[in-house]
Amino acid sequence: MRNISKHLFLAVVIMALLLSACGTATTVAPTVAKATTAPDVVQPTAEPTEIQPATISMWAAGRVSEADDPPADWVVYDILEEKLKITLDLVVMKGGNDDMNQKINTAAAANDLPDLFFVNRDAWYALVGQGMIAPVDDLLPLMPTRTATHYSDPNRNRLVTIDGKMYGLPDPGQIPTTDGLVIRKDWLDKLGLAMPKTLDELIEVARAFTNDDPDGNGKNDTYGFGAYPEMAGVPENGLGRRFDYIMGAFGVSGMWNVTQDGFGMNVYNPAFLDALKVVRQINVEGLITPDWPTLKKDDFRANWKQGQWGIMRENFAALSTKSNYKDFDANNPEGEWVVLPPPTGPAGLSSEGLSNQSARIYAISQKAIDEGKGEAIARFLDWTAGDEGYYLLGFGVKGENYNLDANGYITLEGIDPAKAWTAKEMQPYTQLGNFVYIFTDVELKARYPEHQTANGRTIKPLDFLAGFTAQNWTECTASGIINPPDNWGDLQTRYNEGIQAFVLDVDNEITQEAWDAFLADLKGLGTDDWVADARDILTGAGYLK
Amino acid sequence: MKKSGVDRPSSISQDDNVTEKTAAQPALVPNAAIEIPWREKFRRLWRAVWRHRWLYIIVLPSVLFFVIFKYWPLFNAQIAFKDFKPVLGVVGSPWVGLKHLEAFFNSYYFSRLIGNTLFYSIAGLILGMPTAIILAIALYETRFNMIRSIVQTGAYIPHFLSWVIMFGVLLTMLSPSEGLINEIIKATEGKSISFLTSPKYFRWVAIFSNIWKETGWSTILYYAALMGIETALFEAASVDGASRLQRIWHISLPGILPVIMIVTLLRLGHILDAGFNEIFVLYSVPVYSVADIIDTWVYRAGILEFKYSLATAVGMFKGVIGLVLLVVSNQLAKRWARTSLY
Amino acid sequence: MPVKSREEIVFQILVNTFLIVFLLIILVPMWRVVMMSVTPLGYAAEDTSFGMLIPPWKWSIEAYKQLLTHPNFLHAVWNSVQITVLGTSLSLILTVPLAYVLSIRTLPGRNILINFILLTYLFSAGMIPTFLVVHDLGLTDHLAAVFVPVAIGVYNVLLMKGFFEGLPVELEEAARLDGASELQVLIQIILPLSKPILLTIGLFYGVFYWNEFFYPILYLNDNDLMPLPVLLRNILMASSLNEYVEYDAFSNAPIQSLKAAGVFITMLPMVAVYPFIQRYFTKSTLTGSVKQ
Repeated sequence: MRNISKHLFLAVVIMALLLSACGTATTVAPTVAKATTAPDVVQPTAEPTEIQPATISMWAAGRVSEADDPPADWVVYDILEEKLKITLDLVVMKGGNDDMNQKINTAAAANDLPDLFFVNRDAWYALVGQGMIAPVDDLLPLMPTRTATHYSDPNRNRLVTIDGKMYGLPDPGQIPTTDGLVIRKDWLDKLGLAMPKTLDELIEVARAFTNDDPDGNGKNDTYGFGAYPEMAGVPENGLGRRFDYIMGAFGVSGMWNVTQDGFGMNVYNPAFLDALKVVRQINVEGLITPDWPTLKKDDFRANWKQGQWGIMRENFAALSTKSNYKDFDANNPEGEWVVLPPPTGPAGLSSEGLSNQSARIYAISQKAIDEGKGEAIARFLDWTAGDEGYYLLGFGVKGENYNLDANGYITLEGIDPAKAWTAKEMQPYTQLGNFVYIFTDVELKARYPEHQTANGRTIKPLDFLAGFTAQNWTECTASGIINPPDNWGDLQTRYNEGIQAFVLDVDNEITQEAWDAFLADLKGLGTDDWVADARDILTGAGYLK
Repeated sequence: MKKSGVDRPSSISQDDNVTEKTAAQPALVPNAAIEIPWREKFRRLWRAVWRHRWLYIIVLPSVLFFVIFKYWPLFNAQIAFKDFKPVLGVVGSPWVGLKHLEAFFNSYYFSRLIGNTLFYSIAGLILGMPTAIILAIALYETRFNMIRSIVQTGAYIPHFLSWVIMFGVLLTMLSPSEGLINEIIKATEGKSISFLTSPKYFRWVAIFSNIWKETGWSTILYYAALMGIETALFEAASVDGASRLQRIWHISLPGILPVIMIVTLLRLGHILDAGFNEIFVLYSVPVYSVADIIDTWVYRAGILEFKYSLATAVGMFKGVIGLVLLVVSNQLAKRWARTSLY
Repeated sequence: MPVKSREEIVFQILVNTFLIVFLLIILVPMWRVVMMSVTPLGYAAEDTSFGMLIPPWKWSIEAYKQLLTHPNFLHAVWNSVQITVLGTSLSLILTVPLAYVLSIRTLPGRNILINFILLTYLFSAGMIPTFLVVHDLGLTDHLAAVFVPVAIGVYNVLLMKGFFEGLPVELEEAARLDGASELQVLIQIILPLSKPILLTIGLFYGVFYWNEFFYPILYLNDNDLMPLPVLLRNILMASSLNEYVEYDAFSNAPIQSLKAAGVFITMLPMVAVYPFIQRYFTKSTLTGSVKQ
C-alpha cells in the first residue's frame, strides 16, 4: 500500500505541477473539493486558490480493535486522492491506553509525531508543554462544517484550551450517561426479592445472590456484585467508575468535587472513608467476584455473560446490543437485566456516576503546521464532516453497505447481509467511525437497533440508555480540565494503591490512624497545591466563582 | 574448564613463538618492553595485525553493530543530564546537570523501589540458584535415562513462554474464581485467596513463578558442567569409599563452582534489573507496595509521562551501580575462586 | 557402578522422586492450559475434576477456530516467522565472527575489543536513546527495526567464544602450518566442528525473536507488520480504547479458552523445535564462558 500510495502521490504531484504550469486549469480542482461541504458555509478566503497536494499521516483510534485496518484499495483513499489531493497515511492504533501513550511518547521523543493523532488528555497536556502540539484556532475557520458539527461545544472546547488557545480538536467523546447500574430481574424474582432502594437493601440482595443460588444450578458459583478497576484520566481514580454508585451513595463519587460549596478532593471528605468501609465489607464478605482487582474489561464482560453476578455498572451498548447480548442470552435464556436506580446512602444521597462531557482529542502536531500542512489537514477534516465523508467513514458505501430510508434513517433494507456495515467482515471499513460520529438520533438508531432474544423478548438498547440518563448523576465536566501535577505519577500511584489496598486488605479493618496517615501522605505529595491550582483553573474557566 | 590436555592457551605460546622467530631474542628477557625501541615494537605489532587482517575484516560488521546500536545510543544518553526537548534535539537541549538523578533520589518512592528491586534480584538468586543446582545434580545422578530426558524436556518448556503468556498460565492456577489452586482450596475448606492482588502473597508468587519458568532452563549450564567432570574422579572417590552425598559435596559441587561463580557475577552486574517483563505483566495497583521496581517506575515516569531525561538518568544510574559491582566482584572472584568473567 | 548398595537404592529413589515431582509441578499448569483451551462454553457446571480431566469427546476446538480464522492471524504468523528467521540468521552471522575473533588470544587489540563489548552489556543506554537511533536510521516501520538493533546478545557471544576456545587446537595448527588463512581456518576447520553451539545459540536467538512483543509495539506503526505475540496480546488483553462495543469478534468460545488457546498456539513452534536441538545443550557447548 505504501508503494502504491507513493506512486499515486508522485502522479498527483506531477499533475499539480502541470496544472499550475498552465494557469487555465486552476479552477477545476477547488470546485470539486468544495462540493462536498455544506452549502451554507462561508468561504474563508475569497480567492479559489490552487489546492496543494499533501500527504497527511494520521494515527486514529480504531473503532473495533479486533478488526483489521482499512485495506489499501479502500474507496476513501481514492476519493481523498482525487477530490482533495490528499494522500492519507493512516495508522489505526490498537491495544490499550498505555500502548498508545508509549507509541505517541516515543514518536514525540524523536520529534516525529504524525500530523494528526488521537491522544488522551494527560499525554496531550504533556505534549503541549513540550511545544509539540499546534494551536488550532487558525484552522477552525478553514473547516467550517466540522467546526459546526464537532467543535462548537464550549465545555468540550475548554478541555483543550490553554491560555485562551485551543490546542486540539475535542471530538465528542461519548454520551455522558452511557454507563449505569443494572440488576438481574430474573434472580430477584426467583428469590422473591424486591428491587433494592437503599445501599443496605442492595447489599442484602447481593448476599442473597451470593448465597442462595439464584441461578438454581445447585452450585455456589454466583456473586452479588461484578466490577473491575477501570479508570481513565484525572477525574476517575481510586476504585474507578464501576464503583461509582456505592461512592455516590455517600456523595463522594469521582476524585474531585467540583461544586461551588464542596470544591476539593473527595478523599478529604470523611464520608469517603465510610464509603470505602462499605466496599471493603463487600469484598471481605465475598459478595463481589473475587477476581475483580485483576479483571480486564474483556474478562469482566465474559464473566457476566456466563451469569456470574447479578449487580453491576455496565455500558448500555456492551450490555444490550445484539452481538454482546447473544452470549448472555445463550447462557441465561431467562436472564433479564433491568435498570436499577442508584441506591441511597445513609444521608439519602445517590449517584449513578460521573457525568462529564468527555472528548476524544485529536491533536495536530506543530511539525505538520511548520511543514505547511495545516490547510490540507483542515480540508481533510472538513470533508469528514460533510455528507460524503461522514457516511463513508461511519457507515460505508450507500447501496452496498447501508441504505437510507424515507426519513433519513440508516437501514439494511435491500443490503446483502454479508456486506452490511454491521457485518463482521465490514468492520475494517468503519474503523474511523468514532472520528465522525456525533451521536445524532440517526446514528443511535443505526448503531443500537432493537433485537429479539432467543425466546422472543425484545431488547431495546436505547431504552437502557434512556433509563440510565434519567437517574441522579454527579456532574463533573469541570474536573476534566484539571491538569495533572508534575508528580502525577507518584501521586496517582499513592492514591490508587492506598485506596485499593484498604479495600482489599481482608485481615485488617481500616483504622482511623491508617487513614489519617494515608491522607498525610497525600498532603506530603502536594495535594494542597494541586487543589489550589485546580481552583484557579476552574475559576478561570468560569466553573467556579 | 579443563577438558583435554591441550587447550587454547597452548596455542598462544606457539603463536608467540612464531612471532619471535623473526624478532630475535629480547622478548624472552624480562623488561624486554623497555629495551625494544618503539619503532621495532610498532613494526612487530603491525606485523601481528597484518597477519590477522582477515579477522579484523570479518569482525568489522559486528563492531559496527555495537557502535551504531550501543555506543550511538550512549551518546544520546547525554539527555540524562539535559532537559530533553524533542524539538531541540539531543544536542540542542539545555544541560541541567544531575537534576534528574536528584529527582529520582528524592522521589517519594525511592527507598521502596530500591528495596523491592533488591528483594526480587537477591531472592531470585538465593532461591533460584540452589533449586537449579539440585535439579541439575538430580538429573546427573539418576540412573534412569528415560526419566532424565523426559524431565529435561519438560522442565525446559516454560522458558519458551513469554511473560504475557505466563500471566495466562498463572491465572489458570491462581485466579480466585477458576484457578486450580483456589478450586482445591474451596473444595477442601476455605475461602479463595487473591494471590496476585494481595501484597502478602504477591512477592512469593512472583518469585516462584520465575523459578518455575527458569529453573529447568538454568540447569543446562550446571548439568553441562557436571558432564564435564572427569568420571575417573567419581570412580576414584567411590573406590575410596565416599558416600553419594560426599561425592556430590566434594566433587560435583566444586566441579560446577566456576559456573556458579559466573552466573552469580553476571547477576550481580544486573542486580538492579529485577525482571521488568515479569513484574510489568503480573503487578497491579493494589500490590505496588511490594511489586513496584525501578524499571516499572521508570517505565511509568519516563515513557507514560514523557520524562525522557529522568528515565535515561535512572538507566545510567543502574548501569554505574552494575558496572562497579561487577568489576569489584570479578576481582574478588579472581582472587578467591580463580574464576573470572573476562 | 558395580555394587548396588542400600544407600545407592535409597539415593536413587529420592533422586527420581524429586525429578518426578518437579516434572509434575511443571506439567500440571501446562496441562491445565491445554484443558482450558478445549473447554466448551458452560462446561464447568458438570465438572468434578477441577477441569483437569475433560473427556476428549467433549472437547471444543471453537477457541482454535476463532483464533485461526482471525483475518490477521496468518499474516501475523508470517511476520513472526520472518522476524525469527531473518533475526536469527543475522544474529548468527554477526555473532560467529565476533566470538571467533575474541577466541584468538594472540590478536592485538583483543582485550580492547572484549571491554568494548562488555561495557555495552552493563551499560545500556535505555529505551529512548536507542529509539532515537533507530528512528534516525529510518528503520521505524520496517520489520528490520525489530531484530537489527538487538542482533547481538553479548551473553551468547561469550558462550560461543568459550566453545571456540575449548575446541582442540591440533587441527587448526595443522591447517595454519599448511598456510591456511584465518578465514579458511574458521570456515573449514572451526565451523564444521561447531554445529552444537550454532544450533544452541541459534535456538536462543530464535526463542528471543519469536516471543518479542515490546520492540514491535515500539518500532512498528503499521499494523500489517505486527507479529503474533502482539496480535495475541491485542486480542486477549486490550480493547480499552473502545467504549461502544457494538460488535465483538470472539464469542462462541469462553474467553478463558481463547486465552489458553492463544498461549498454546504461541508456544507450539518453539516447543516443537527445541527437543531436536536439546541434545546439543550439554557437554562442551555451554560451559565455555567459564575460563580456567
